[in-house]
Amino acid sequence: MAVNGWILAATIELGGGGAAALWGVATGPPARRVIAQNMTTSAVCPALLLLAQGYGRPSYVDLALLLALLGPVGTLVFARLLGDDLAGQQPSAWALTWTAAGLGAAVVLALCVAGSPGRATVKLLVIGALLISGNLVASRALAGGFRGVRGG
Amino acid sequence: MTRRAAPRAVLLAAGELLAWWVVLALLWLVLISTVDTLERIVGASCAAVGAVLARAGRRAVTWR
Repeated sequence: MAVNGWILAATIELGGGGAAALWGVATGPPARRVIAQNMTTSAVCPALLLLAQGYGRPSYVDLALLLALLGPVGTLVFARLLGDDLAGQQPSAWALTWTAAGLGAAVVLALCVAGSPGRATVKLLVIGALLISGNLVASRALAGGFRGVRGG
Repeated sequence: MTRRAAPRAVLLAAGELLAWWVVLALLWLVLISTVDTLERIVGASCAAVGAVLARAGRRAVTWR
């Protein structure tokens, strides 16, 4: 299959965002590593969406859906387990977080415009909403924004 | 001795369950690949179970 614009965009996304996230996870203090771990979802999920479009396989979108759902959940687990280690630090990188959210929104909108309107469009929007809201909630949890929640 | 719940509380609970069910059933219809009768039945059933779990989960968490 010839490389098209979607696959090229996914490659750039994975090569830039994915590599940066990997580097951030592998080096530096724990506070930086959890942020990079959280950013991994935001970097890889749009790339999976672009690849599904590039290869013309709509069912591949399910991978991105699962990642958008489980990635923030994984971050919440880290936020809870590392709560004592990160107590005084409140790691946050809001510029990076909003940049990643904007990237996800741009990719989802581009795919929505490229495809014909229908249930697939709604599915893409659901994935985008999950990705962005999950990212924001997980980032806020890492920054200590949910200390007041008890129970469960 | 059993205490009967107030009608208002029962209505509120039923309304919340119905809202969850509608949202979850719509989500199911969006995420499946082909829509047919079997999918509708399975989706409605799963949404019903999900609605009960969602309400239980919401009630388990308290903000303060």
